[in-house]
Amino acid sequence: MITAERKSFDQIKESIKEFESLLVLGCGTCVSVCMAGGEKEVGLLASELRIKNRLDGRDVRIGEATIQRQCDQEFIGPILETARKYDAVLSMACGAGVQLVAEMLAPMRVIPALNTRFIGITQEEGVWVERCRACGNCVLADYGGICPITMCAKSLVNGPCGGSKGGKCEASNEKDCAWVLIYNRLKKQNRLENIFKMFMPKDYSTQAHPAQMVNEAYLKVGVEEKHGK
Amino acid sequence: MGDAIEPKVIAFCCHYCAYSAADLAGSMRLEYSPNVRIIKLMCTGKLDTLHLLKAFEDGADAVFVAG
Repeated sequence: MITAERKSFDQIKESIKEFESLLVLGCGTCVSVCMAGGEKEVGLLASELRIKNRLDGRDVRIGEATIQRQCDQEFIGPILETARKYDAVLSMACGAGVQLVAEMLAPMRVIPALNTRFIGITQEEGVWVERCRACGNCVLADYGGICPITMCAKSLVNGPCGGSKGGKCEASNEKDCAWVLIYNRLKKQNRLENIFKMFMPKDYSTQAHPAQMVNEAYLKVGVEEKHGK
Repeated sequence: MGDAIEPKVIAFCCHYCAYSAADLAGSMRLEYSPNVRIIKLMCTGKLDTLHLLKAFEDGADAVFVAG
């Protein structure tokens, strides 16, 4: 999932101070799972803002809504009319969601309430860790299912480096050396010969921004539908 | 005492203990402040941060949870 964390309350308050009415808009997918911008968090933030505004003697209308995903037009469409009744939208989605909502509501102001962090997994309750850099050229098969691009501080494809000590990384004693993890995993898989292979430098051209991908099959269906075939 | 502020207090009470205690107090004709408003929950484990915030939002000066 894409993980994110909420900006500080003071930061949020500062970014919305000019508005008389505000819709706090949650996203029901990734940021809901990492407890940063789902329906519950929308309720908490909206409530905090209402209390703060009352204490400050400000009359600001705060609305709440949460849609399934803010990165899909079909889910944003139905709330456009509601959103336009406010001065601005405080989006609790990842950066992608904020941008699509802003595009569809333009020129209306859409303010981000979260800082988007990374593509990761839930390690334990309340702890999320990065596992994928979305490099566009997955090499997990070669490394026993452990990503050296994400897990190694230097993103080495031929490791470990000289900074690996006692299974930890020289960048931080708290971080496991990705290459020790890879070694141990390959050993368990009886594929230790893989560690001696020399891999060519990775092709990072797939990471050119802004990236785009097209599913030709769907695209053709779309074209036929449009032209009534 | 005329100018003293009387805070509105919302009490979230568990059905099985704190609420029963309040009920018993009633049966015994014991008085408690009228500015304490009790909301019964089947279990205070059900209580959510949102409930606390809503109480403050709607004008409570203090909230207490008993369970």
